[in-house]
Formats: sequence, C-alpha cells, structure tokens
Amino acid sequence: MDHVIELNELRDAVQKAFPADKLAAPRDAAWSLVAEQGWLMIGLPEDQGGLGLGRDAAVAIHFELGRVLAAAPLIPALLALEGIAASTSLADREGWIERICGGEYVPLNMLPGTVEDVGGTLSGRLSGFFEADMADHVLAGIAGQYLLIPTDAPGVSLIKRDLWDESRSLFDIELTGYRPDPALLVAEGETVKALHDRISPLAQLAIAADSLGGANAALEMTVEYLKTRRQFDRPIAMFQALKHRCADLKTHIAAAEALLWQRAGQLDASIADLGVAKALANECYMSTTEEAIQLHGGIGLTNEHNCHLFMKRAMLNAQLSGGGDHWREAAGRQALAQYAAA
Amino acid sequence: MSDTPELAALRSEVRGWLAANAPKGWREAYQQMSHAEFAEAQRDWFGKLVKGGYAVPHWPAEWPGGGRSLAEQKVLYEELASADCPRLLLSFVSTYHAAATLMECGTEAQKARYLPAILGGETWCQGFSEPGAGSDLASLKCKAERVSRPGGDVYVINGQKVWSTMAQYTDKCMLLVRTASDGPKQAGITFLILDMKAKGVDVRPINQIQGDQEYCEIFLDEVEVPVADRIGEEHAGWAVTSATLSAERGLTLMELSYRMRGAMRRIAALIRETGREDDRGILRDFGQLVARCDSTCAIADRFLENRMHDIERVGDASIVKNTYSRVLREYSLLGLRLGGMQEQYRHPITFGDLNTGNWMADFMNSYAWTIAAGSEEVQRNIIAERMLEMQREPKGWTT
Repeated sequence: MDHVIELNELRDAVQKAFPADKLAAPRDAAWSLVAEQGWLMIGLPEDQGGLGLGRDAAVAIHFELGRVLAAAPLIPALLALEGIAASTSLADREGWIERICGGEYVPLNMLPGTVEDVGGTLSGRLSGFFEADMADHVLAGIAGQYLLIPTDAPGVSLIKRDLWDESRSLFDIELTGYRPDPALLVAEGETVKALHDRISPLAQLAIAADSLGGANAALEMTVEYLKTRRQFDRPIAMFQALKHRCADLKTHIAAAEALLWQRAGQLDASIADLGVAKALANECYMSTTEEAIQLHGGIGLTNEHNCHLFMKRAMLNAQLSGGGDHWREAAGRQALAQYAAA
Repeated sequence: MSDTPELAALRSEVRGWLAANAPKGWREAYQQMSHAEFAEAQRDWFGKLVKGGYAVPHWPAEWPGGGRSLAEQKVLYEELASADCPRLLLSFVSTYHAAATLMECGTEAQKARYLPAILGGETWCQGFSEPGAGSDLASLKCKAERVSRPGGDVYVINGQKVWSTMAQYTDKCMLLVRTASDGPKQAGITFLILDMKAKGVDVRPINQIQGDQEYCEIFLDEVEVPVADRIGEEHAGWAVTSATLSAERGLTLMELSYRMRGAMRRIAALIRETGREDDRGILRDFGQLVARCDSTCAIADRFLENRMHDIERVGDASIVKNTYSRVLREYSLLGLRLGGMQEQYRHPITFGDLNTGNWMADFMNSYAWTIAAGSEEVQRNIIAERMLEMQREPKGWTT
C-alpha cells in the first residue's frame, strides 16, 4: 500500500505541473517542465544517477501526461534513455545519460523504417521520431543495430510529416550515404535483441498509459458536457440512452486500466501480455473518443472544441509499437501454447 | 502480488486439503444426475467444507472456520477455483445473505437458532423479486397482515415470489412482504423468515431455456409466519435488505473470473480440435478474449484490494459485475463459433457451472449474470448516476 501512496503522490505531482484545464500546452515549455521535475530519471537505476523507481512509476506519469494531451515527448525520450543506459558499446555513455537526464532530448523512433547498408554507409528512410526538431541526436533502431544519429550530419535530413494529431509532431529521417560514427554505436549484433527486449515492454506500457489517461479525460469531458447541455428542458445527462453509453465506456476503461497496472507490476509478463494490454488500451481510447464526438453532437465536429484532439491522438497511438491485430494474434498464439495439446 | 508467509502457508494447507477432499470427476457426475441428486451432491460438498473449516471463512472468529481476513478468503477462493472444485450454489444464500442479515439485524434468539443450523446444512433462499417487482424491487406487493393467534401474533401472507434460487431444496426463505401501502413504497416493507415447509407454501421450479431448474416461483396462500420470525421492525424491512444485498461483494466475481480464465483451456482445445491453430482471425479473437478475461481478473482483484483498504467507491462493484458478465458472454460466443453445427446438437448440461464447454448451454447460462443480482442496465444506472454523477430522471412519472 505504501507503494500505491507513492504512485498517487507522483500522479498528484504531474497533475500539479500539468493542470487538467490546460490541454496540449505548448511543447517547449512543457518539455522544460518535464526535465525540471526529474521525470527523465525515474526509471534509471540509482547507481547510474537515477531514481530507480519501478516501471509503474513511469506508467503513472505517462497516464497523467496522456490526460492532458502532453506535447512533451517523454515516451520516446525514456525509451531511448533505457537503450543508452543499457549499452555496452557506447563511448561516453555516462555523459549521454547525464545530458539526457538534464533535459537534452534524444528520441527513439516509434515506427519501423528501411535502411540499406552499402559499404559502411546508410541510405533509406526512418520514421516515427517525435519532436525531432528539438533533438541534436536521435536513437535509431534499425535492422541489426541501434545507433545515435546527429540530426545535422552530412547525409542526414529531417522531414516533418504532417499529422492529423495536432498534439504532437512527427518526423522522418532520410539517410543518403550517411557514414555512422562508431563512437555513437549503442548496440550491434547479439546485444540488439537484448536491448530491444528491454525497450519494447516499456514502449507497450507507456502507450497504453498515455491512451488510458486520454480515454479517462475524454470521458470526463464528455460527461461534464452532458451534465450541462440542456435540451427538452433538462440536462441531457438525464437520458438513460446516454447514461448507459457513458457507463459502458467507464466500465471498459476501468477494466483495461486494471490490467495495465497489474501488468506494469508483473516483471515476468511476456511481451505479448504487454502488447495485448496496450491493444486493449488503444481500443478503449479509440472507442471513447469516437463516442465523445457523437455525444457532443455538432460541437464535437468543430475545430475549437477539444474532442477531436483526443480522437486524433487515440488513432495515432493505435499505430505505435505494433498494431492491435499483431498483438491480439500474438496473445492468441501464446494462450494456445499455454494450454498445450493434451 | 505475492503472498505473505502466512498466506503462503494457508495456500499450501488449502491445496493439500483440496487434493485429498475435493470431489473428483464431479463434472461427469453432475451431467448424469437428476437435479435433485445435484442438490444432494451440493449438500455433501458443503458438509465436507464445513468439516475442513473452509465453508464460512467470512463469518466471525467464534465460528468454526470463521474469522478469516479478506486476504485469506481470497487465497481460499483462488485455490477452490484453480482446483476446479464444484461451486457452492445451494448453500450460497444461507452462508452469505442469510447469515449477514441475521448477524447484522437479527435478535440474539434468531442468531442462536438459525446460524448454527446453517453450518449444520440448513439452506435458505431469497424471496425478494415478484412478477411485478424486479429492478424496481420496492414496488413489491406480496401482502402480510398481522393477526392475533392464541400462541402469539402471526403475519398472514398472500402473494407470489419469483427467481428464488434453488428454493425447491431450501429450508428457509428471507421473505420481503408489504405490511403497509400508504406512504413511500420503501416504508411499508417488512422482512420475515419463512419456513418453507409451512402450510400454504407452494414452490414450483422454473424450466429454464437450457434445461436447468435453478430458479423457482413461490406461491404463498394464507401462510402464517410467527412475529418472532421478523427481522428488524415492522415496516422497516427495506433497511434490512441492504445488509442482505451487501453480504457478498467481490469474492464470488473474483472466483468466477479465475474460473473463466482456467476455462480458456476449453477454447484452446476447441481451436485444436477444429484445426484452426493457424487461423489468424480466430487467434486474434482468442487473444482478445484472453486479454479481456485477464482484465476481468485484474479488476476483480483490484476491487478486493480496495475493499481490504476501505477505499471502495460506489459503483465499483457494478463495474466488476458488468465486466465479468460481458466477457462471460463473449467466451460462450467464441466457443459457439468454433464449435459450429456440432453445438446445435443437444448435449447433456453440467449443473452448477458456467464454463462447461457445452457452448449453447454456457451461452444461455451467461444471461444469469447480465440479468440476475441487479441487471446490467441497473448497474449502468448506478455507474452513471452515482459514480459519474449524471443527473437522475425526475421521479413520479405516471401513465
């Protein structure tokens, strides 16, 4: 229970720094605040200068940041930091950790890409770097290696991709004959899988947390609207047809959230266990925001209203770190193997 | 969450006891027997659990097998689920609802008379719902009139009750009757203990769509109940029902969720039998179902944790119930889909279980959880009105 109290305190701290009435607060200031609060250090072991908190601490923060549609890209930063901290090959690893914990932004790519290695130079396109315009370096996970790439190096160009989701910005990186710096190699060969296996669970938990934080906020916003909007001489929240839809959303969110917190604490949960929990969270976020627009009526279709911001973030989240179909199938195969043929 | 040393010791003790005492092959046996024989088998299993000290862990410590913390009760029910023991249906209302009502609202004489009898195997049913009083229970009409008799006052009862679980085998009934019809409908209700063998009590089992007879109608014709068998004051029965209805909050749904998780093996077996191991659509739906089932277990667990720490919120129980009952439906529907035509041929049903692998029967049985004990719709109202604080509809609508 002490642990729960600790998590609640952390959630309170995030709510204080990012109040619920300021959605999608400007990115740069939000990022400085994230760094000031020390949230980049939460998962890092104490002997590496971090706070050494369990992975549910990060879940708590991502959840609260999801509630306010945070533009600050804590998820890709923490994933990159996890990889860098575990690197056995990176020169000046300690220096990198220190700079990142101090607020230097280094994101990991959250989408796959294709890159060709021709005689030691790399060409191709990498996708899924959030807010890469803030970054001097990115961590790229590409087939066979993880490496840090300076965004201003020769043969590296940053391409901003226009997103429906207005709460975040996303970049591709185009490599044309880029010659990697051996001093910036984070992992290659056998260690790549080990690094991936450390990062991937955290990615699933983080996106699930962001999604369920957002789903909760979208539902609260919708319920609040129904309670104040009057038609037929009464608040429309009185209509049972609307009540039941909200109750069902609340029920789905609560169940997906219970699973998320449980899996965050289960260090032996498999990647399929985490991926399918994320898929469930994505599904909740999408269905809640889909309903949110419908329940708001016409106002939900206007750009001034916040409904669409949640919906667009929900749709993008569902594409990150493996889609729902992939994880549902993986979970199905795992369960089938669990109950081996008699 | 891992066990403390004390809980781990209890777990291994229970596991050992179950290995020696749990009925073996009960699923096959429960398929072959008549419903009356099923009731007998339930009595036997309850008797064994009483002897083992595991029948009433939630009762106070002065009772044999009582005084268990919620954490200990959870361990016990987890073990009962994982050993796939038969559930206690026949004694459920007596050990939970009747016992809680008596302990909270009964007189010393009532407790002394009825509680030991429950441990001795006396069974109870609930006489709450009526044909015209379901979700709107307080509108019940079963009438009781107080009449003087040489041996003391009695209530003379006329009316009908319905949906009383296994009433055909029970000894006593918690009966809600109307003793006044003026004033608010809740204010004229009285709570009585009815002897099911009393003159004028006619119990008729209801034939359910899957062939079970789990519920009964009770017809009451000039039935006399001594005033001494009233729980709480006259007209004050509505308050007593809250003791009855809050008797069991959480353990059953946790146990049922774990049992449903264990029953995923049935779906896995069916996927193999039907050669769908590489059917990606089926695998996805199976993966989704398992995740939904795991989320049901997680929220049932969390609910119990919150209760242990007294941070339960109004509406939490409704969320757990609606989650479980929907996933149970989804489970049976995936089974039906995989089973195909084969499941349209009638197979014998297994009494007392929700996850039998007889998919049509399981499907039909799953409605028990979306309809009984506060329908899904009533739970949605509770969630919306009491948790999300959406405004209630104005009262007093008349045709």
